[in-house]
Amino acid sequence: MFGLQYLLLILTILLLISILVRKSARIITLLTGIITILFVILNNPTYTSFNYGSLSILYMSFRLVFIASVIIILIGIVEIFVSARFNARSGFYVFTQFLGMSLVILFTTNDFLLFYIAWEMVLIPTFFMIGIWGGPNKDYAAMKFFIYTHVGSVFMLLAIFTMYFQEGATNFSMYYLMSNLNSIPLAYQSFVLFGFALAFLIKLPSVPLHTWLPDAYVEAPYEGTVIISSLLSKMGAFGLLFIFINLFQSSSYYGSTLIPWILVALGIISLIYSALVALYQKDMKRMMSYASIGHMSFITIATGGFLILGSGLYATLLYYGAVFQIISHGLIISLIFSTVGSVEKSTGTRNIVSMGGLARKVPFLSFILLASFLASVAIPGFSGFVGEISVLIGSYGFLKIYFVFIMIGIVLTASYHIYTLQRTIFGPYNEYLGNIMENRNEILASLILLIPIIVLGIYPSLILHFFNISQIGMGVFK
Amino acid sequence: MDLGVLMTYLIFGFPLILVPIIIGVGYIKRNYSMYLGVIAVFLSFLSALYVFYNYTLKGIIIQNNFNWFQGSGIYIPLGVIADNLSIIMSLMVSFVGFLIILFSVGYMAEDPRRHIFFGEMVLFTASMLGLVLSSSILMLFIFWELVGLCSYLLIGFWYYKPNAAAAAKKAFIVTRVGDVFFIAGIGAAFYYSGGQLLISGLNAIPYAWERTIVSLLLFGGAIGKSAQFPLHVWIPDAMEGPTTVSALIHAATMVTAGVYLVARTYPIFTPESLSVVLFIGVFTVILSGLLGLVVNDIKRILAYSTISQIGYMVSALGLGLGSASIAFSIYQLESHAFFKALLFLSAGSILHALLNVRDVNKMGGLWKKMPITITSMFIGALALSGFPLTAGYFSKDSIITASYNVNLLAWIFLTIGALLTSLYTFRLFFKIALGKPKSYAAEHAHESGILMLIPIIILAIFSLIFGIFQGGFYSFLGYHPESFSVLDLAPVTMMLIGLGVAYWLYGRENDIPDKIAKGLGFLYKFVKNKFYLDVLYTNVIAERAVLGLSAVSDATERRVIDGFVNAWGDVVKNAGSSLRKLQTGVAKQYVVMIISGLILMLLLIRILMVMGVLH
Repeated sequence: MFGLQYLLLILTILLLISILVRKSARIITLLTGIITILFVILNNPTYTSFNYGSLSILYMSFRLVFIASVIIILIGIVEIFVSARFNARSGFYVFTQFLGMSLVILFTTNDFLLFYIAWEMVLIPTFFMIGIWGGPNKDYAAMKFFIYTHVGSVFMLLAIFTMYFQEGATNFSMYYLMSNLNSIPLAYQSFVLFGFALAFLIKLPSVPLHTWLPDAYVEAPYEGTVIISSLLSKMGAFGLLFIFINLFQSSSYYGSTLIPWILVALGIISLIYSALVALYQKDMKRMMSYASIGHMSFITIATGGFLILGSGLYATLLYYGAVFQIISHGLIISLIFSTVGSVEKSTGTRNIVSMGGLARKVPFLSFILLASFLASVAIPGFSGFVGEISVLIGSYGFLKIYFVFIMIGIVLTASYHIYTLQRTIFGPYNEYLGNIMENRNEILASLILLIPIIVLGIYPSLILHFFNISQIGMGVFK
Repeated sequence: MDLGVLMTYLIFGFPLILVPIIIGVGYIKRNYSMYLGVIAVFLSFLSALYVFYNYTLKGIIIQNNFNWFQGSGIYIPLGVIADNLSIIMSLMVSFVGFLIILFSVGYMAEDPRRHIFFGEMVLFTASMLGLVLSSSILMLFIFWELVGLCSYLLIGFWYYKPNAAAAAKKAFIVTRVGDVFFIAGIGAAFYYSGGQLLISGLNAIPYAWERTIVSLLLFGGAIGKSAQFPLHVWIPDAMEGPTTVSALIHAATMVTAGVYLVARTYPIFTPESLSVVLFIGVFTVILSGLLGLVVNDIKRILAYSTISQIGYMVSALGLGLGSASIAFSIYQLESHAFFKALLFLSAGSILHALLNVRDVNKMGGLWKKMPITITSMFIGALALSGFPLTAGYFSKDSIITASYNVNLLAWIFLTIGALLTSLYTFRLFFKIALGKPKSYAAEHAHESGILMLIPIIILAIFSLIFGIFQGGFYSFLGYHPESFSVLDLAPVTMMLIGLGVAYWLYGRENDIPDKIAKGLGFLYKFVKNKFYLDVLYTNVIAERAVLGLSAVSDATERRVIDGFVNAWGDVVKNAGSSLRKLQTGVAKQYVVMIISGLILMLLLIRILMVMGVLH
């Protein structure tokens, strides 16, 4: 058992070492991943808190709740995977470590100012990942990503300041600011909810605030895409599921269902719209970035549903489903993007129509692609199924007849995945591709993700036993 | 754990665990994976036998549930139940599956990817066994999806054929449409029953209208999987896979899953939902019977016959006779499994000999060339059409007879269905067996190897004698008829008429069928084009509606939403570049600006004071 301060100290030291000794950055990233996972496992993750007093207006208190621990495990796995699978520049790994550290702070802090700082710290490495190693349109994509998400952050900052000054607080403690939210005028409360929701929905992302995502994912190098897609979208998910739910429940709006229904509607629109747009894409990487939007829409739906239902069996199931969706989406989307990367590396293209019959020349790579796509469609046996089915079963209770929209969304989602499989790995071999090869190491590295995906799909209790619904309330922030 | 419980889990556990080993061993030695595959399914047959004896001797219904979301505080049960229904199904699935996989050893002996084939076949059988043994509706759905996945992989097994890849896609998406209804059904059941996922707990749903919703949603899933109208379109295309896959899909696994689902959740079906079930079943019988008459692909004819026979099972359930309905439909399901597996395996044997020529017009005269196969096929055809004293006679005619007292209209259509069945069956058979060989391949056909003939002969025997188990079968499923009512003569008469007409039309060399086709004109064209349902789904819904919407969404995405975002960026950029021009560096202009700004500000303050805002 070691406290958070040691983890941050270790991460900082490792970051410094990898800045000084650039050659070691890749190995150190691997080490960082292992240490991060160890931190969660050693701190019994059924709610641990670390209190370090206060530093001026900073309220130095941290806690490790189950969502945070799930995401931190994910950070560790992704760091291990990225350092094992990709042979990137060492500067990239330095950025990866910096990002990982910022995220650990973000997911554990009990202080809104620190939360905001970490939220912004994440932008810096991501901006450089896209801007330095990105594709042909990288400048546009990096700038768009930065400014777009920054707009959301600004509103969040304003919302935090609104709470701070209106409540007359002395520090930025989440517990204090949130629990006194209902004491301020209703207009300010609305602004606070709006500011947070905007920041989270941009980061998640939800339609119509998503257009930074396809550009950022497509232009980023594959290793960057893996990190951005699997980790950055979790900031929005964490925000919605942990910050926004508590914020909403302590505001005067608690009990009204308008705002939750807006969230549900946004989720359903995201699901159908992303599937429809994905169906029309020729670029596999762009298509899969829309798939990522589709996966995250389940989290929006679950958040809305949880707030509508308030409590009880169905709400609990929705919440667990959403948290499970967080980890499974992180694993699956990483696997998908890294596999698409391998496919592009061996065929020289990621255009769906110029492939075909890959199973003949690259059987193992095709198998991994097939597995990752099936996981993305949420076939049982893969972790995606557990999260999605929980959200789906739970959401019938409040959707009733509107469930039909989700059904349409699921069928559309399945169709573009299956369509892509038919055009890429099945069918007659496209002889224009020449004699392509697969890289055995890349396929072995994919197992780092595929094995947890399958294990979690069969035995979800492995993660679920961290879960404790009592951790959703305000008490956690004390 | 109790041995009985363990054995119940092992019925699907054995093959499930062995799947990775079968594929892995294949990379070392291809043939070992074939033998291992046969052993795996045989082991599950033995386990099923053990559970069967355990049940008949001790009369204990084994049920075991565990919490899938252990430690989370919610109870999401998964588990097995071994009652009469699931035992009889698992016996059939493992036995027929075993015979089909045994046949595959000969059939796929030269395929370079046979280890993957056997892995997937065993996974397919294991998933179906898991499906029938599930005690929880969620576990049933998990295996339901795995069955769908395996069928997707197996239909597309010869992935390099564009047809196979397209057929696999179609099968997946069409059954997916059914699956989302199933998901909605699980959600509805979970909600209305107050958090129950066990099948036995579904009775907790309080109101009839809620039961109707849940049962119709579940039946929606069954329609997709069991290929009933309007989601039957994937089955004929699914014939692109290896023939043994078709045999497995049609006889033991996959399409029977829907019927089993309805039988399993039968208590929650209300009279309203049962009338829908009956309507769909009867409609499908007639529709697919007509389709079977006009296609020329040997496997597609069999595919349509499956749809129509499944239609009988669904109709039997729709009659709403309680345990009698279940007994009728499951008995039909099992006898159908035997003779359909027989027919497909014989077809496989024929295709093996004819180098995969599938057009029945290019066959002919095969009775002399391959006597054992064709004789077995003859038995299968008799059983399928319900010739007296064969398996199909007892199973199908019981359904038709029972429908007489429930719904006269249904009885009429089901009887016509019997005529159609015998027509398309013997059209197929006479075209294959009699006459002269009509292609080079048919002239040089030869009998298949002994390994392929053994399963065919065993299935032929079962198709002949399965009728004698009728009484025992019914009472095993909890239906004890007072006396076996005399089966009415109408279906048999119809069957014999069909047989005679088929011989008159197709048993001899003549051109009457062509003349009939020409004479019917538009009607023939309508049926030949599969009632334009494929056109509706593929060309209208998928290509026009969905792709059109998708194109619109893509344009919206790029032009409207992203256009808006970029427009904002441009506004800021342009504002910057135009305001920049004010920075001229000329001191005079700055002074003018300062003075005009000052005047404007003072004016503003003055105005506000006049308005009373400032004092």
